[in-house]
Amino acid sequence: MSAPGSLALAAADSLGALAPSTAAGETPLTAATVGSVSESIDWWLVGDPADWWFVLRNVDYLGGGLLLTVGLTVASILLGFLVGFPAGAVEVYGDGRWKRLVETVGVVLRGTPIVVILLVIYFVVGVPQVNLGIGSISPAVSAGIAGLGLRSAAYQSQIFRAALGSVDDGQLEAGRAVGLSRFESIRYVVVPQALRRSIPGFQNEFTIVLKDTSIVFAIGLAELLTRGYDLFTQQTTAVLEVILFISGIYFVLTFTTNRALDYLGTRYAIPEGEST
Amino acid sequence: MSDDVFLRVNDVSKWYGDEQVLDEVSFEMDRSDVTVLIGPSGSGKSTMLRCVNRLAEAQEGSITLDGEEVLSPDTDVDRLRREVGMVFQSFNLFAHLSALGNVALGPRRVLGLSAAEARERATSQLERVGLADQLESYPAELSGGQQQRVGIARALAMEPKLMLFDEPTSALDPELIGEVLEVMRALVDEGMTMLVVTHEMSFARAVADEVVFLDDGRVVERGPPEQLFERPEKERTGRFLERIASHD
Repeated sequence: MSAPGSLALAAADSLGALAPSTAAGETPLTAATVGSVSESIDWWLVGDPADWWFVLRNVDYLGGGLLLTVGLTVASILLGFLVGFPAGAVEVYGDGRWKRLVETVGVVLRGTPIVVILLVIYFVVGVPQVNLGIGSISPAVSAGIAGLGLRSAAYQSQIFRAALGSVDDGQLEAGRAVGLSRFESIRYVVVPQALRRSIPGFQNEFTIVLKDTSIVFAIGLAELLTRGYDLFTQQTTAVLEVILFISGIYFVLTFTTNRALDYLGTRYAIPEGEST
Repeated sequence: MSDDVFLRVNDVSKWYGDEQVLDEVSFEMDRSDVTVLIGPSGSGKSTMLRCVNRLAEAQEGSITLDGEEVLSPDTDVDRLRREVGMVFQSFNLFAHLSALGNVALGPRRVLGLSAAEARERATSQLERVGLADQLESYPAELSGGQQQRVGIARALAMEPKLMLFDEPTSALDPELIGEVLEVMRALVDEGMTMLVVTHEMSFARAVADEVVFLDDGRVVERGPPEQLFERPEKERTGRFLERIASHD
């Protein structure tokens, strides 16, 4: 059976049940059709068992894609942080040439489609194969990390710029007043507060990077979503099953990491006391 | 010329853009003196205070502290501030640190004490301002009066030779002002040299060695409190004091 079709009809059915007058008035045909088809749906299982079996048989293939997705996300977020945090700090505290340079690069990176960034890095700039002790990273993966990482840096710089800028000037001044240098005041007084405030923005950025890793198909890499696409073009009846399976994985990844960051935010929250 | 004066402010002028906020301000303090700057808001008294530890930069004049030129470009500003404590109107406690952490940060990071030594010093300074039972409290958990006392302890922990107070009680509810003034009085009794901007005239009257009245960035009149408060020489001083008194 065509799973997407039945799901769409099931959705239309529940819509019709919720608003019978509208549905019946505007699309009487749909309402009638749904009534007859809905009886053939297996309510205990979305999709077809045979198609689910197909997904499970290929779980290794998807697992390989998952590994690439996770690897790209972790490496890109890390690169994005290592470059983006100092960049944000330069935008807040720097002046002159450095500040203008960082701002300009940021605007260019944020204004360029990620596919273009990846293509330019992979085909124009060129990235060598990176050899680590335990194995090597292919040029395509390196380019993927560089592209996603630099774009993330451009966005993360804005998260940290906002967070650093939101800390009251009096904090920096009080640090200077006890004799801390400007850098020390930023390091020991402003940054600890800014990092806490950047967690919500960082959660967004993490989620976006995770899902955007699929864009590396443009330079020939097959991560989770691309491999899923591969699968359902082989067995076209399994579109829904593959997509649901992959969505489940994305959900688990985003949910757990977001909860972990929530925990971090609570764990290091500054005690507020009772409002007086 | 040898100079026994501890703090000498000489013809200090400052502009923000075209607007002159300090106009040839001069006064002196000896060690253990308490000098109170009074004047209407916008008269430049806070700016004058901030010029002493260079949180604001004076453009003309000179300030010497303990024989050293404060305004010279060669002055090590961080070292100057290490030796000059400052208490802010809005407390400016480090929001992410406990009372103990606030007071210990300077000794730890500026003076290079070990964590244990810094902690010990912070504890004794917090005891000094009557907050022995609030060591682990965070600023947001403290009352305004308690926060300001932490602010004073934070400055004292650096063992400064001069303390600057920038309207330390102006942000406080009336019932909390007393506890802060009490701590400041105790400091006066210990012989701390203090330069204080305040609207607390009874405090100024009780502890000041000299009161400086500023208006429009100029020193209108200065003298011992009994003279300035009882027999002001300038008409402007008298008018200001009357306005203040009518609100007391």
